[in-house]
Amino acid sequence: MRLICVFLIFWITPGFAANAEPPIRFGLTAVILTENIRFLDKWSQYLEAKMGRKVEFVLRRSYQDVMDLLDSGAIEFAWICGYPYVQTRKPEFLQLMTVPVYRGAPRYFSYIIVPHNSAYQRVGDLEGKIFAFSDPDSNSGFLYPLSLLAKNGDKPETFFRQTFFTFNHTETIEAVAEQVADGGAVDSYIWEYLAAFKPEVAGKTRIIKKSPSFGFPPIVSHLGVDANTVKLMKTTLESMNQDVAGKALLAELKLDGFGHYPDSLFNDIRAMAKSIQRSIPHALDVTN
Amino acid sequence: MVGFMIGAVMVVQDWSRFHDELGEKALLLSESVAITTPRAMLRKNYWGLYQSLKNIVARRAETGGGHEVITAMILDAEGIVQAHLQPAENPLGLIFSPANKVEEELLTQAMSASKPIVLSRGGFSEAGFVEGVVPFFSDQKYMGVVRVRLSVARLYEKAKSSALIVILLVFCFVIIGSVLGTMVARRMVKPLTAVTQGLEAVGRGEMTDFAPVPVKGGDEIGRLSITFNQIMSELAEKKMLEEEIAMSEKLIALGRITAGVAHEVNNPLAGLLNCIDTLQKHPDDQKLIDRYLPVIDQGLHRIKDIVHNLLVGLKIEESDENVNIEHIDKLKDLITAEIGDKDIEVIWNNRADKSLNIPAKLEQIVFNLLKNALEVIPDSGTIIFNMYQEGEFLVIEVSDNGPGIPSKIRNQLFDPFFTTKPNGTGLGLWVVYRLVQSMQGIIEVESEKGHGATFHVAIPVMRAKAA
Repeated sequence: MRLICVFLIFWITPGFAANAEPPIRFGLTAVILTENIRFLDKWSQYLEAKMGRKVEFVLRRSYQDVMDLLDSGAIEFAWICGYPYVQTRKPEFLQLMTVPVYRGAPRYFSYIIVPHNSAYQRVGDLEGKIFAFSDPDSNSGFLYPLSLLAKNGDKPETFFRQTFFTFNHTETIEAVAEQVADGGAVDSYIWEYLAAFKPEVAGKTRIIKKSPSFGFPPIVSHLGVDANTVKLMKTTLESMNQDVAGKALLAELKLDGFGHYPDSLFNDIRAMAKSIQRSIPHALDVTN
Repeated sequence: MVGFMIGAVMVVQDWSRFHDELGEKALLLSESVAITTPRAMLRKNYWGLYQSLKNIVARRAETGGGHEVITAMILDAEGIVQAHLQPAENPLGLIFSPANKVEEELLTQAMSASKPIVLSRGGFSEAGFVEGVVPFFSDQKYMGVVRVRLSVARLYEKAKSSALIVILLVFCFVIIGSVLGTMVARRMVKPLTAVTQGLEAVGRGEMTDFAPVPVKGGDEIGRLSITFNQIMSELAEKKMLEEEIAMSEKLIALGRITAGVAHEVNNPLAGLLNCIDTLQKHPDDQKLIDRYLPVIDQGLHRIKDIVHNLLVGLKIEESDENVNIEHIDKLKDLITAEIGDKDIEVIWNNRADKSLNIPAKLEQIVFNLLKNALEVIPDSGTIIFNMYQEGEFLVIEVSDNGPGIPSKIRNQLFDPFFTTKPNGTGLGLWVVYRLVQSMQGIIEVESEKGHGATFHVAIPVMRAKAA
């Protein structure tokens, strides 16, 4: 439904002459607030104007869905999470293109949150409780809390009484705010964003644990996309902070801009994933 | 009253219809949740289950006019909470614990339902609710139950306000109806009351100072009032005329008496004055004296008789003296003495109770009648006197076999100074008539020319005696 809406908006968007070239498809995940259709509309118009090509945002429920689209070549670019990025693919089908800069650095955190009026003070207090994960392919929403448990030799299915995935950081915050879950793990960028724009939801949650910083969810390109297009997209995004319209869009995204960073930015996540796979290998075999 | 009953029936019917509809809505909502529940449960998509419950609340809020979802839950076959609208109090993964006896009962009913059912509690009250219970299955295996509970509070409010409207309407109708009824009744009764008061006045005999009934409108009552007023004014006129006639009759009678007295007294007076004049001229003429003195004597006696009769009649009329009935019998001797040289037989029949007391006036009546009979008989004949009691009346009959009374003078018979006899004063029967009248009696004359006459007098003596 959401996808149909996006398509409709692009179909009826006037002012851009029909181009012989096929549109550039850009996959989005829950690393940003994908509900803001009007913002995505403005952003795609901006990118179209800059690149001279039609740009379509493609939304999917889970990270896995977007990864599958990328794998099959159904999309050219995608904004994914650091955890899927560091996973090994054979053969590899994507490459790092650019990384958002958030509050001065290409880094973010994982927050462990609880209902604001609850008595929980540390992660250990959540033993035997209900815990909400965001996405099984999320670093901040799944990998990091797993690593926290693994340090003490715990596994989610035994440590918590119940766990569930919301497939969306925003909904994890809602699940905790409404006390469906006693705790949850979320992307700090999303939580802060919500704290600013939806304080009535985020305000009902309280952070009891902040992770070390991790590389911000990166934007990757499919290996099959021609170098010029990749370069054009990379330049367009990275120079957004140099014009007024771009700055306005970045302000809405609460980002400083996009920048070129090495793959090593994600080494922390890579190491964490490896350690989890060693200690609780089946924990990542999540199907949904 | 009827209005209230109809109103109450309407409200109750409305209520039960709305209540049934609400039950169906609850069932529909539960069913919509139950469709996706088995799959989500198998995948442990608890967030999805919770969202499906949240969605029905959001949907009901959006559609507006809906009924508040009090609670909703998804329980598995063991009664473990899979999702609950109040997650803080009913945590995921724990057995749902009912808060009280009623909840326990409802839970048992819900858990034992093998097909969708509607439960309801609280009936017609603000706290009442309906619950749609839908069990769900996967591959025919019972997996749990969806319960969606809707409040009847809004329904209750609606029913209450419609009841209020009905009561207000009925109340208004009752007030308007009674006010109109009173007004109409007053309009109808007021003229009738006036007519009744008028009739009562007639009953009291106050006809001349009667105030006309006010006439309003041309309806039956208006026409009745007009007719009544006409009758009343005619009656008043008639009464006034009667009074005038009575007055003029009195004047006429008085005039006749005066004229009679003048005439009867004047006639002998002329003769007497002549005699005296002649005697004065010839005072020493013994012959004249011997001739005129009896004439003067006779004339003066006649005047004396007239005055006596007039005085006697008037005097006795006023008297209410009573005498024993035997006094009447003395009259037989008195009248026999008056017969003189006529050959008249008097037949006397007094059959009345000897101990009876009668008004003294009766003596005069009987005497006058006997005297009258005596005078009308020329030379010989019979006078029959009968007296007897009939009911409360004492009846007196005096018959003669004289010449009878011509029918043309019968109306004047009792007039004063009316007489057919050369020496009669014309006052005897007049006195009888007046005395009979003064005793509320009846007098009748029966006569056939050449066969004499009979006077019948009936006097209510028994009533007088009893009184």
